[in-house]
Parts: sequence; structure tokens; C-alpha cells
Amino acid sequence: MAAFDGYIKATHDFIQSMQGDNCTQTVHRDTVDELRASIPIKIGKGAMQGIIMRGNTFVELGNPLAGSTSHLLWTENCSLIQDGRITLIGPDIDTAEGQSLPFGQILMVGGEALKNQDHEQLQQINIIGDQIEGYMLRSSAENIWARVSRDVASREFTFETLGKAMIALIKSNRPDITSVEILFVTSGKKDVEELADSVSSAKSLGSDILKEAWKERGYDVDCDFDCSTCHDEEVCDDIRDTIVQIKQKERSENAAEEDIIATSNK
Amino acid sequence: MTTEANTAVEEQEAKPLTTEEAKERALARYKVERDYFTENREAAKLMVEIGPEWQLQVQLLDIMLDAKEVIIDCVENDKPFIAGYFCNAPELFHAMDLPWYMIMETPFLAASAPYLEGDTDASVEIGMSQDLCTAIRLPIYYIETGQMPLPTVAIGLLTPCDGTPMLEQVIQHNSAWKDVPIYSCDPPYTSDERAVNYYAEELHRMADHITEHTKHTYSVDRLREVCEESNKTYSLWQEYNELRRNVPCPHGWEIGGAQAFAISQCFVAGDPRCTAWFEKLLEVGEERVAKGIGAIDRPDWEEKIRIFWFDIMPYGWVFEFMPWMEEEFGAVVVMDMFGNFPYTMIDTTSEETMYHSLAKRNLLDAPMIRQARGTAENFAGDIRRIVEDYKIDVVVWPGHMGHKDGAATVGIMRDTCRDLGVPFLHVGLDLYDKRYTSVEEVKEQTADFFRGMGLA
Repeated sequence: MAAFDGYIKATHDFIQSMQGDNCTQTVHRDTVDELRASIPIKIGKGAMQGIIMRGNTFVELGNPLAGSTSHLLWTENCSLIQDGRITLIGPDIDTAEGQSLPFGQILMVGGEALKNQDHEQLQQINIIGDQIEGYMLRSSAENIWARVSRDVASREFTFETLGKAMIALIKSNRPDITSVEILFVTSGKKDVEELADSVSSAKSLGSDILKEAWKERGYDVDCDFDCSTCHDEEVCDDIRDTIVQIKQKERSENAAEEDIIATSNK
Repeated sequence: MTTEANTAVEEQEAKPLTTEEAKERALARYKVERDYFTENREAAKLMVEIGPEWQLQVQLLDIMLDAKEVIIDCVENDKPFIAGYFCNAPELFHAMDLPWYMIMETPFLAASAPYLEGDTDASVEIGMSQDLCTAIRLPIYYIETGQMPLPTVAIGLLTPCDGTPMLEQVIQHNSAWKDVPIYSCDPPYTSDERAVNYYAEELHRMADHITEHTKHTYSVDRLREVCEESNKTYSLWQEYNELRRNVPCPHGWEIGGAQAFAISQCFVAGDPRCTAWFEKLLEVGEERVAKGIGAIDRPDWEEKIRIFWFDIMPYGWVFEFMPWMEEEFGAVVVMDMFGNFPYTMIDTTSEETMYHSLAKRNLLDAPMIRQARGTAENFAGDIRRIVEDYKIDVVVWPGHMGHKDGAATVGIMRDTCRDLGVPFLHVGLDLYDKRYTSVEEVKEQTADFFRGMGLA
């Protein structure tokens, strides 16, 4: 079983547990060209001109105070991914004008040739930049924090649109990815936090994979030594002992001086 | 020993100063710095008609000078105050109604001051190595020569580099400072939830220590009020950062990350005056974006190269270098290490959540601490994100002589830039002392690089 397979299963369990009126699912197994043709916005490098300023924002997603989480999970076992499925739990964009919605996004991608060395570049998929018209990811390291412009909102930009745009971009930018599934959560801070908890250790797992990948390139991103493995440990221990002895001596001398002063004051 | 500095040290060692003499000596340099900034403020006031950015400079200097006056008052009238760092959760100091100054204030905020070169030389003359980071060497020199105000409590810093623990040792052992109670939060190596929780406890212990020695404390409501104001400040900063993604970038090196950093966390963190400064900054920035104005508002000027300057700005010689880059190559510093990324918003639900958020902000987000403490992956991760978000054409790692932690990751940074197809320039210089690598040499390397990469 590959590194993130368990988290993909946990995400599917989360979706299953949230099934109900609040949950909508669509499946799009079209070609990239068909996906592009089916959405009312431009996608690709430079599709978004300029930035979305606060006055031109229709809805904000994932303000850290409202709740925000985002993960990319990948696998070489494509059968684990429900290719083309876009799940939304919570209100859609068109119903949230002027609001700041909590936002969780899990991107699940599969490709038979994917391997640990690809992990860092796969994380780059999440950084949309200027590739989706009217959708701007704010420059935030820890969370996903986004804006949808008034202009595209008036052209029926929904989470289905966003999902289709992302699937098309991922499949055209990375031909080695053959399956893409996306989960969006906007139903509440609690739900976003629950989702974050279900995949929380994926981040540290990703860091471990990164470290190994860099190691293979000849770099250490981590110090893999500590006092117990250092050949100078004995010297440090001696210094510490000496410092303790000096301080003890100082303390006893000070105490003796204080005794003398106290005696002479009597 | 023939220099004035050495004589000062000898005198201090030979004959202990009286309390009043020590105060006078400590404040003498501090007042010179205040006067330097007062002159700058007066000059900035004369420029206000040129553009609203000058009004921002005046407001910044007002805030800075007020903070300095408060410290002077504390020293002269024996009121409690703290010496610490920007990454010591200064919102807590504010909530406790305790003034503070930054131990590295001069290199961080007054690096353009005319006396800096002389002080740097004097630091070597009292025995410090030229290899030691200038930003560390200067405060050590000021402490060892009795030229830094003696605080009621010192809050130390044990991260991110090899230099900070050395400064800590000076604070612990200097004859005048050794009786100042000091607390230094222990920074964990990792960045996971366990590390954040541990650091939150450390901040708690720091607050208890301050209370024990100053009798100042805070109410949870007051801390919440300060943190909420701080959140407003950081939200506006984040909003302004988005503006810098625009092409052309609405401001160049003169206003942006460095000032935002100073205002948000170096004086009174979580103060409405700081929020007002950011509101004005945003208003000015939005206007420039709407009009398509770039760093230089002139019809014959065009933004051509967008730079990520991955370090502190070279304030020791910034006036000789940055305007040259903008004019000569249309090269604009769009983002730098100190303007980088919004910080964690403070969850004000409870005292516990506030400490947790403050721990994240001060351990994982604060500039330099974010990159150089712990593992090196943030160096690569930050480059990846900023290059994409800000449409960066060149990543510059200046290679400050004191940033040995970063020097160890140059290979990782260079390979990351290769992966992204973005040129990476590594110079090797002293951000505070242009004699280390001359400005002409830095310019030559930069120009050759831009031309060699086909950018100019």
C-alpha cells in the first residue's frame, strides 16, 4: 500500500459520513478538451489577468478564522480514485454572495507511474496561480484561502466549475496523472476541522517523503544527529559538570558571605 | 587599546559607574538614534506633497519615535520595561502594559544610520570576530560598552542562528546585565502540533516570568482585545501583499515588507495606530493598482524584472543599490523575506487558543525564524509558492555573511529554482556593511547575471 492510500480511504469515509441534503456529487469523465469547453471561464497560464481586490470579491473561501484546510493525496493505485468525481459538502458559491465561507479542499490524484520523487512537484498542483479566470488563491502558506470574483460569479461559476477547471488543468499539465477526484467542504468550521483531523498526519508523512527525495538528490533538509550520536558528547558533558561545580562553589561562597554579614549585624 | 570604544570598556571594567552615570551612558546612544529618526521624520514631512507614501513614512516614524520616547522615560524614571525581540509575542507585552525595545533594534531598524560603520568597526576593536553576523555583533557591542538601556526584564532568543545564543550569553554575563532577570523560550526543532503546544507553554512561562519581575499582568479580555487588533493589522497586511502580486507591482523597495514588519511587531503590537497605518498603505496601494502604476510613477519607466529578495533588505547600503536596480533594469523587489506570507491569525476564543496561535505565529511564521529554525524544507517551499504567486523572474539569495544557516541550504534553493525554471542569484555580502562586498561589486554581479540570463 502506498503512503497516502489510507488517507484517501479516510477521505472517502468522511464523504460517506456527510452524505445527505448538504452533499452534492457530480462525475465528469470527459476529455480535457471537453472539460474546457464545458465551463464558462478561461483556464490555463495567464487566464486570470491581474488580481481580485477585496471590492471585487463575490465570495471568500477559507479565511483562517472561518476555517481552512487543504491537502493533496496521491497514489499509484488509480482504482482508489473515483476519477472525475467532484463532491461538495455545504453551500455553493452562487448562494454565498458577500460571505466568507469555511473551506476544505482535498485533491486526490492517481497515476500508475507516480513515485515519491514526484511528491514535491505534485504539491505544486495546489498552487493555482493565474490559471483559472476569476479564482485567486491568496498567498498563504499553511491554509487554502481563495477569492471568487464578481465577474465570474455572474457567469455561474460554481464549485463544479472550479472542480472541472482543476481536473482539466491537472490532466493537461501532468499527463502522468490519469485520475483526479476533488472534495470541497464549506458546511462549517467544525466540518472543516474534522476533515483536517482525518488527514492531519499526511503532512508530516509528506515531509518525510520530501526529506528522502532531497536525500536522493544529495541534500539533507534535516539534521539526523543529536547529542547521543555526537562524538563530542563527552566534552560537552565535562563542560556542563564544570559549570555546575563553579556555580555550586559560587553559591556556597555567597552563602558564607551572607552568614558573616548576618552574624556581624546581630 | 587606543580607540574610544576600548577605552569605554576599560573604564567600565575599571570603575563601576553609578546608576545615574550608567543610565546616562545607556541613553546617550539611544538618544542619538532617536535624533537621527527625528531628522528623518522632518525630512519626510517635507516630502508629503510628492506622494502619500511619504505620509506613511511620517506615520511610521511617529510610531517609532513614540516608542523610543517611552523607553527613555522608563529609564529616566525607573519604570519597568522589557528588552526583547519581535518574535517574543509582543502582543503579550502590550496586554501587560509594558513598553519594550528590540535588542537588535539598531541593525534591524536603523541600519542606514551614519554611525553604523563606526560602531561596526568598534565592535571588532573590542574583540569580536568579523565573521560574526553584524546584526549580532552590534547589540553585543552596545551591551558590552554600556550603550543599551538596561531593562527590568530581558527576553532572550535562542533561535534561529548560531549568533543569537552568543548574544544571549553576553546578556547573561555582562557585568551590568547579569542581574537582569532573563527568560528565553526554548524553541523546539520540529514544527508539528506537539512543538506548537510546547512553545505555547514556553510563552506562558515567559509571561509568568515577566509578571514575577515587573508585577505587571494582563486580563484575558485585555489580551483578547490586543490580539483582535493585531489580527486586524495582519489581515490588512495580507490584503496589501495581494496587491504586490499585480503586474506592475504597486510599490518597489521603498515601501512594503520591511515597514510592514516593523509596524506590526517591532513597537506596539496590536495597537490601533498600527492598524491605521496599514489601512492607509492598502488605500494607497489599491489606488496605484487601479491606475496601473508601478514602483516608479514615470511614463518612460517600465517594470521588467520581478525579484524575490530572500533575506532582510540591505539597509546598510540600500540607497546605493535598490534605486539603481529599478532605474537601470526595471528590476523591482516584489517580495522579500520580511514581507513574506501572512502570519497565523490569533484565535481569540480562550486564553489557551490565544497562546496556541501566538506560539504558531512566533515559532512558525516570524521571518528568519520560519526559514532558518528546524528543517530546511521551508526554504524550498517558500520559494516554490512565492515564485508562482508573485510571478517572480529572479530569486536573489544575497548570502549575508551572518546567515550561515541559510548558506547551508543554498544548494536546495538553487535546485528548487532550477526545477521551477527561475534564475537564482547568490551573491555573498554583508547586508549592513558595504565594505564586506562593495556595492560596485554587487552591482556588477547583478548586472552580469541579469544579462547572462537574458533578462536585460
